[in-house]
Amino acid sequence: MSTIDKLNDLQYRRSVIEQGGGADKVKKQHESGKLTARERINLLMDEGSFIEVDAFVKHRGTEFDMPNIEAPGEGVVTGYGTVDGRLVFVYAQDFTVIGGSLGEMHAKKICKVMDMAMEMGAPIVGINDSGGARIQEGIDALSGFGEIFYRNTLASGVIPQISVIMGPCAGGAVYSPAITDFTFMVDKTSQMFITGPQVIKAVTGEDVSFEELGGAMTHNSKSGVAHFMSDNDEACMEKVKLLLSYLPSNNLSDSPMYENNDDLNRLSQRLTEIVPDDANKAYDMKEIITEVVDNGDFFEVHPHFAQNIIVGFARMNGRTVGIIANQPKVLAGSLDVNSSDKAARFIRFCDSFNIPLLTFTDVPGYLPGVSQEHNGIIRHGAKLLYAYSEATVPKINVIVRKAYGGAYIAMSSKHLGADMVFAWPTAEIAVMGPEGAANIIFRKEIANAADPIATRTEKIEEYRNKFANPYVAAARGYVDDVIEPDSTRPRIISALEMLASKRENRPAKKHGNIPV
Amino acid sequence: MRKFVINVNGKSYEVEVEEIRDGAPVAAPVSRPAAAPAPAPKAAPAAKPAAAVPASATSVTAPMPGTILAVNVKEGDTVNEGDVVCVLEAMKMENEIMAPKAGKIVAVNVTQGASVNSGDVLVAIG
Repeated sequence: MSTIDKLNDLQYRRSVIEQGGGADKVKKQHESGKLTARERINLLMDEGSFIEVDAFVKHRGTEFDMPNIEAPGEGVVTGYGTVDGRLVFVYAQDFTVIGGSLGEMHAKKICKVMDMAMEMGAPIVGINDSGGARIQEGIDALSGFGEIFYRNTLASGVIPQISVIMGPCAGGAVYSPAITDFTFMVDKTSQMFITGPQVIKAVTGEDVSFEELGGAMTHNSKSGVAHFMSDNDEACMEKVKLLLSYLPSNNLSDSPMYENNDDLNRLSQRLTEIVPDDANKAYDMKEIITEVVDNGDFFEVHPHFAQNIIVGFARMNGRTVGIIANQPKVLAGSLDVNSSDKAARFIRFCDSFNIPLLTFTDVPGYLPGVSQEHNGIIRHGAKLLYAYSEATVPKINVIVRKAYGGAYIAMSSKHLGADMVFAWPTAEIAVMGPEGAANIIFRKEIANAADPIATRTEKIEEYRNKFANPYVAAARGYVDDVIEPDSTRPRIISALEMLASKRENRPAKKHGNIPV
Repeated sequence: MRKFVINVNGKSYEVEVEEIRDGAPVAAPVSRPAAAPAPAPKAAPAAKPAAAVPASATSVTAPMPGTILAVNVKEGDTVNEGDVVCVLEAMKMENEIMAPKAGKIVAVNVTQGASVNSGDVLVAIG
């Protein structure tokens, strides 16, 4: 064989691999509204930047008909490239090659790029589109899953890990996305579940469709398993890129700095008008967030899940901040099981990756109810306290309106180590609301009064005037300053600059024991 | 003994029914709610007007326990998605309950001043 022949041979081999499962399978993939693994990677990466690794890997299956099965690329495309000029590792399961099933060598390819991502300190994006474990390879397939989960765990808090579900992701396969930091799903073409509709039907008799059981909206709104939902593969990849733009490459670096044309001293008169005079009236907290952050750009995480709390990324003077805010519009902004989980996980992500926490507080308390108590609001609510206390990144809190009782403590209070707590003059920081407090404190006076109703109203007003304001907390130093709402942006930016060199020493330990 | 699944106000109940033969004494029919504890599901025509709600209707439920401060719609009204159908006072907040979809109001189960529990059907949109 001459060198030219060898070159031709190489090109031929490569072209076979790049065709994946072949034209028919690719056509089927497209007809079902899905792109191929390579098309997806090309959407994610800067043009021409993708470098494939391990294209020639083959499976070693000997049982059943495996020796006769050709699986170009082993059903997964792996490698690295750049997104907005920054190094990112990627793997994309190829559904056109034996259903994207995960066997021993398929998993080895994934593990290799995961190891590389960790060594190089760069984010990894995993694109899932697989029928599950390759049954023919038996426990070697299970070993593959285990090795991936193990690496997901080691990489957690070291590099950002993003899972993109663009097809089926069933059984054990779901646990890799579950361990990673963010999960994206595509509407109508992606599903995640431990056991599918047929098994459920056989075991419990429940009838449920794939979409209802584990579709994108189900996991975005009900289970909270997924953080983002898109209409199609293209839109989904755009969202992944947008998320990456907010994140540092690893736990030792800072998030990227962006040119910013939004004046850092911008005053916003509108902030004075958003909160209604009547404390019983709701408003949209997102209006406050977009008014404060750079150019009004707020990238919400988990927008469909536990909407009584808002979390997401934005920039202040060009640098990423993680925002946590109560949403008075939903469930009165109270804290419950799901919102505590949602916020706690987001806070821990930000703390892992040096992203300062900016909290906007308007919380009436924890949501009362038998189901909340029985579902473990004590255990789940504790996560929020734990996460805020544990975080050592700069922590800034703006108390917009209500901050009552235990929920006041939980929402980035001074007592949990917040660095700067600002309160608007509209803030009401107290142990409980005036109505409840007056009923308890003045119980006897009210009961013995000639006109209990009038006395009660009078006492409520007395309590409100005395305690439902920010000045009692400010008098103790629990609030660092009471600020004019219109100056919120400059005050936060100045605090972030002051806190940029923050160093906090904590007792050495292996790790804490967060009440999961 | 035969099993039936019966839907009342959007809640489904699993009901076991035993046929009574002539003169033969039979055990009291056993019924148990499939989901949360609820009023006796075997009760004949429900006292609530919601009994006539077609199964296809979308129920708007109370997100948390509270008091109905205002009901903005009546049966037969047409609503758009996002319209406020009623106001629920809970956690000292007037929570606007919005229509999850456009349609015609086929049932209104609450009146002003009513206390509701989390999950109670407030209105149904057909």
